[in-house]
Amino acid sequence: MKKGLIGIGVFAAIVILVVAFFFGKYNTMVSLNEKIDSKYSDIDTYLQRRADLIPNLVNSVKGIMSHEQEAINKVTEARTKLVNAKDLTEKASADSELTKALNNFLVVVENYPDLKANTNFITLMDELSGSENRIATSRKDYNDAVNEYNAYIKKIPNSIIANMFNFKEREYFKATENANEVPQVSFE
Amino acid sequence: MKFHKLALNKIFTLLFLLVLFPVNVSAIVEPTDKFYVNDYADILTDEVESYIFDNSVKLYNETSAQIVVVTVKDLEGKDIESYATELFRHFGIGDKEKNNGLLLLLALDERKSRVEVGYGLEGILPDGKTGRMQDEYMIPYYKDNNFSEGMLNGYKAFFEVVASEEGYTGEISKANKADGEIELPEYVLTLLGSKLLATVVLLAIGFSSKKTRVIAFCILESITIALFFIVAKYDVGAAVSFAFIGTIFNLAILGDPSSRSYGGRGGYSSGHSYHSSGSSFHGGGGSSGGGGSSRSF
Repeated sequence: MKKGLIGIGVFAAIVILVVAFFFGKYNTMVSLNEKIDSKYSDIDTYLQRRADLIPNLVNSVKGIMSHEQEAINKVTEARTKLVNAKDLTEKASADSELTKALNNFLVVVENYPDLKANTNFITLMDELSGSENRIATSRKDYNDAVNEYNAYIKKIPNSIIANMFNFKEREYFKATENANEVPQVSFE
Repeated sequence: MKFHKLALNKIFTLLFLLVLFPVNVSAIVEPTDKFYVNDYADILTDEVESYIFDNSVKLYNETSAQIVVVTVKDLEGKDIESYATELFRHFGIGDKEKNNGLLLLLALDERKSRVEVGYGLEGILPDGKTGRMQDEYMIPYYKDNNFSEGMLNGYKAFFEVVASEEGYTGEISKANKADGEIELPEYVLTLLGSKLLATVVLLAIGFSSKKTRVIAFCILESITIALFFIVAKYDVGAAVSFAFIGTIFNLAILGDPSSRSYGGRGGYSSGHSYHSSGSSFHGGGGSSGGGGSSRSF
C-alpha cells in the first residue's frame, strides 16, 4: 500500500515536472512570437511616417522642379504602392522601391543648388532620412527577433512542442538587393 | 604566502588568456570611465572635456537625462547611422524608462557628424531640428577643423534644449550661432546701457550749461558706441576693450568734462567645478530607434 503511494507520488511529480517544462517552453515561444509582432508594428509605424512625408516633399519641390516630372512621379508611385501594400513581402519590396526612387530624386536635386540650400527643404530631407534610418533600425530589430524565435523553435525538444501547438517559422523582412545602394553622386 | 603565489599565478594565466583571446570583438568603442566624454580621436581640449563632463554629470544628477560626446578616428567601415545607433544602445545612454539620452558623435577620418536622439527626446528634438542645429552650431567650426570649439558650441546648444525640457535649474550657457549675429552677453549689454545713459545725461548737462566741450565729448562717445556695436558683431571681447580705450581716449582729448560715473559691470561668471563622488559613470540603459541626423563636413 505504502509502496504504491510512493509510486504514484513519484509518477505525479514526474508528470508535473514534464508539464511545467512544456509550459515553460510554450510560454517562451509565445513571448518570442509577441516580440516579433511588436517589432513588426514598429516597422509599420516608421513606414507610414515615411509615406506621410512624401506629399510634403513633392509639394515643396513641385514648383521649382517642374522639369523633373519623371523623378517626382516615380517617388509618388512608389509611395502609393507602399501605402497599399498588404503583407510583409509587398511592404518590403515597396519600401525598397521607394528608397530607390528617392535616391534617384536626390541625384536630380543636385542640379538645384537653391533648393539644396533651402532650410525647409533641408529639414524635410532630415526628417526623411531620419525615418529611413528608423526603418533600417526597426528592420534589424525585427529580423533579430525573428532569428531568435526561429532558432528557438527549431531546437530539439522545442521543435516537438512547436509542432504540437503550430508555431511556424516566421519570415524575415528583406530589403531587396541594391535598394540601399546610393547612386554615385559627386558633391563637388 | 603560498596561497598568494597561487592566486597570482591564476591571475596571470587569466590575463594571458585574455590577451590571446580578446573577448570583446565588437567593432564599436567602449565607454571610457568618464562616460560622458569619450575622445577617442583625441581632438578635444582638456577644458572642453571637463566642461562637457561637469555639465553632463550635473544634468544627470538633477534630471536623469544623459548627454554623451564621442569622437572616433574612424567608423570601422560602418555607416555613421548604424554605428551611432549601436553605440547609443551599447552605452545605454539615457534613463531606461524615459530614454532621455543624446549622443553627439564625430568621426574624424570620414569627416562626419551625427546627433542621435533617444526615443524620449524625439519630441523636442525632431530630426530636422538636430540637422539644423548641427548646421548652425557645429559644422561651420568642423569645416575649419576647429573640432573642439565646434563640439563645445554644439554641446551648449543641445544642452540648452535638453536641460530646459527636463526642468534643469542649473546654469545654462548660450551657444554661438555661427552664421547669425553673436548674441551679446548680459554684462556687455549692461555696460552699453550705462554708457548710453551717461552720454545722454552728459549731453543734457552740456546743452543746459552750454559747455561745448561736454557736447563734443558726448558726440565722440556716441561714435565710440556705434563703433562698439559694429566690432561686437565679430568679437565681443575686443569690443569691450575698445569701448574702454575709446572712452579714455575721448577723455584724454577733451579733458574730464565733469565727474561722471560708469555703471559698467565686467567679469565673466566662471563655471564652478563639480567634484564627483568618485563613483564610476555609466549609462542608464536608454535606447534609441535611430532618430537624429547626420552631416558631412
